[in-house]
Amino acid sequence: MPGVYISYPFCSQKCSFCNFASGVSPAEVIARYSRHLLNEIHRHTWQWPPETLYFGGGTPSLMEPGLLRAITASVPHENLAEVTLECAPGTLTAARLALWSECGINRVSLGVQSFVTPELRQTGRRHTADIVAREVAMLRAHGIANINIDLIAGLPGQTLASWDESLDWIERLSPPHVSIYIFEIDEDSRLGKEALLGGIRYGAARLPSDDLTADLYLRAVARLAQAGIPRYEISNFARPGMESRHNLKYWLLEPYIGFGLDAHSFDGRLRWSNPDTFDDYFAARTADPIETRPEEERFFVGLRLSRGIEPTCAEWLKFAQPIERWRSLGMLEREGNRLRLSERGILVSNEIFQEFVNA
Amino acid sequence: MDPQLIRNFSIIAHIDHGKSTLADRLLEYTGALSEREMMEQVLDTMDLERERGITIKAHAVRLNYKADDGNTYELNLIDTPGHVDFTYEVSRSLQACEGTLLVVDASQGVEAQTLANTYLALNHDLEIVPVINKIDLPSAEPERIREQIEQVIGLDASNAILASAKNGIGIKEILEAVVHRIPAPKGDPEAPLRALIFDSWFDPYRGVIILTRVVDGVLRKGQKIRLWSNGKAYEVEGVGFQSPKPVPCDELAAGEAGFLFANIKTVSDAQVGDTITDDARPASEPLPGFQEVKPMVFAGLYPVESHEHGLLRDALEKLRLNDSAFSFEPENSVALGFGFRCGFLGLLHLEIVQERLEREFQIDLITTAPGVRYRVTTTAGDVIEVDNPQKFPEPSAIRQVEEPIIDATVITREEYIGEILKLLEEKRGVQKKFEYIGSGRVLLLYEVPLNEIVLDFYDCLKSASRGYASLDYHFSGYRVSPMVKLDVLVAGEPVDALSMIVHRDHAYERGKALIERLRKLIPRQMFEVALQAAIGTKIIARETISAMRKNVLAKCYGGDITRKRKLLEKQKEGKRRMKRVGRVDIPQEAFLAVLKVGSEGE
Repeated sequence: MPGVYISYPFCSQKCSFCNFASGVSPAEVIARYSRHLLNEIHRHTWQWPPETLYFGGGTPSLMEPGLLRAITASVPHENLAEVTLECAPGTLTAARLALWSECGINRVSLGVQSFVTPELRQTGRRHTADIVAREVAMLRAHGIANINIDLIAGLPGQTLASWDESLDWIERLSPPHVSIYIFEIDEDSRLGKEALLGGIRYGAARLPSDDLTADLYLRAVARLAQAGIPRYEISNFARPGMESRHNLKYWLLEPYIGFGLDAHSFDGRLRWSNPDTFDDYFAARTADPIETRPEEERFFVGLRLSRGIEPTCAEWLKFAQPIERWRSLGMLEREGNRLRLSERGILVSNEIFQEFVNA
Repeated sequence: MDPQLIRNFSIIAHIDHGKSTLADRLLEYTGALSEREMMEQVLDTMDLERERGITIKAHAVRLNYKADDGNTYELNLIDTPGHVDFTYEVSRSLQACEGTLLVVDASQGVEAQTLANTYLALNHDLEIVPVINKIDLPSAEPERIREQIEQVIGLDASNAILASAKNGIGIKEILEAVVHRIPAPKGDPEAPLRALIFDSWFDPYRGVIILTRVVDGVLRKGQKIRLWSNGKAYEVEGVGFQSPKPVPCDELAAGEAGFLFANIKTVSDAQVGDTITDDARPASEPLPGFQEVKPMVFAGLYPVESHEHGLLRDALEKLRLNDSAFSFEPENSVALGFGFRCGFLGLLHLEIVQERLEREFQIDLITTAPGVRYRVTTTAGDVIEVDNPQKFPEPSAIRQVEEPIIDATVITREEYIGEILKLLEEKRGVQKKFEYIGSGRVLLLYEVPLNEIVLDFYDCLKSASRGYASLDYHFSGYRVSPMVKLDVLVAGEPVDALSMIVHRDHAYERGKALIERLRKLIPRQMFEVALQAAIGTKIIARETISAMRKNVLAKCYGGDITRKRKLLEKQKEGKRRMKRVGRVDIPQEAFLAVLKVGSEGE
């Protein structure tokens, strides 16, 4: 059964590491966007009642109550099992909590990124570890126990010691789900741009080396496993049974529909996406859907899952050569009919995935 | 035309001392071009020439000048290339003249290149008219420059003309001096034809166009001529002169300069310096000084895209039609695939060919480090010429190696002398002369191996002198030197395109510097990669590129699979453009790394 993604691309500030189509916008843009978003949802013909609903951003925890109510009312909810809302620490209030419960939100993802204050300040974030702790407690007290915490490995100034501090907080707060994102250097974020083109504002000069970032990631994998939160996908960790049902759809090539700016959709065969600028979105200029190549996607998407994939006979044959090469290098592992990345293979997975793209 | 009313002259000047501007002014003053037709640097017709402010091809422009004595003179301005790579062409152009204008910048003074070309002119017994240019600049010191010309060149400069080509000062005086100080051509109009080829190029409609100076006899349309060096005969289809546009005429008589075309298919048949004579009534002796031009500097040219190999071959063949001084033959590299070993007159020539290939033929090139031609005597007693490190014999098979040596003249300011002497020492130079030439300037004459010059000498000299040094050199001979072949091994595999020939005493430091640079340029691979520099089987330096730790996309926000795919495709494409040697992907920049070795620091 499909998932639904709602994009709310507005924040109270733009973080240095963010490479999404989101940021700070004037109130009239937000109002106009809200109308278009609702229209888009209303126009949609629901062939299947969705199983998951995911509010991503931006910062959807800042959403006006009216908009949130209107959206949740418009999405068929008879089969909804997981409704996630992304939340910026420091935005939680009793009123919002009440609203979210009323709207059926049963999972909250906290964009914590780091528990170390100087690291947070450098990215533009204003919260502290204590605020996160208080908000986790509030969520639990309110009956929302399905909580995810996002962390970023590879922020300016990060060290193994500071990373351990963040991981200590994870152990202390013991959320059922954790995401570890490795910071990506590209021109789409301010920090990435600074790393590529130079500058001193966002601390790019103090970005950890590739080697250190790899070590940070591996430390997190080890410590989370120890804490009973094993990895089930390259950047996602959960207590057994607490995996994100919505995100799993991406890796399992199950259908999902996205609404709003730069939202992506997949119907099992075609992929398409909404425009990533407000002008284009308001003018409803959409690009044509793209036919997918399922056997390639199964590899470069499916192999992200710890459980790996079960290639078909034809796929084993077609990719026999790269599979063998990466196995001999110890990057891929085969167990019966299953194929998965080894621990070493995960960190260089792009190198491996390239072989299965346009092969 | 009465030879008494003909003057053939050239202009010698250092780059930027105003040669092209002066030529423009002379054209304008004599009415060869109306003001409307004037365009900066009229004679430099190639884009490359205009952009770089250098002259690559020669020209011969006829100017009609009515002198103060009431006579109208035919002045042939024979413009020559001004770069050390083309010394031979310059000497041929000078041979076509009776005199030359020596243009010296009124604040910069005499430079190495000017000096070398002036000596060439003196060797040809040319009358030299010193012109001190740019006298209207605030920094001009004409008296000091006058002294310098006398002291450095040993020329009487008391009657030097003070001029500003830019502002038209002294132009008339220059023209009068050409008429009265430069002798009229001698030569016998009745003798059998002897004409000197001083440049040639290929025209797609007319075949090869030859620039020539008739010394004896007459050159006519319809005449059957013979080229001395190869004995080939042709019928002259047309003669004419440039004014500066081509003007056809019936004949060029003794003393005159102009062009001819005779359905000659390739410029290598009409070589610079050769003598044209009459096929039916040949002269008994050719004109002196003909040499076959030999390439001095060699490099491998490879297409970045291996499927463009055929395209590169066609382009080289087309260029060669127009430039007989460069040579090419197929070459095969394990690392770079199929390419060509090309020979050039010098580094500028290499750059010109490279740029024309990229610009006019749109071929992306990888150029391997330039080298020279060694003379190797094997233990078997054979003497072989080696211009490609790949073909350098094993150390055990070598009795001795001789390398080409040049005489390098450097003129610089006193304050940079320390740095420059150090540089020349490093480049294995041997001092032959150290002379103060006044006004805080020093002239150095050094014997330097050409192989040290071709790598990065210009750049080093420029940085050692902050640009205040000029260089000229010419080939002086071969010298026995302990040269060895330095190989680079990547993950145990020799990378042929990175091999270089170096002096034994420099091998260690060159090898170390090279692999240190490569370590930064070769991206980390899935496994640890050893970089080694070796002479024969002996490893002299080693570096390690540790295995890649991380290349992972940990974000897949909102199910954006397309973005992921694009990123993977981009990475894959980047890899495709690299060259794979054994198991290692090597980026193109790495092959240029050899060029930078030996330069100080990064």
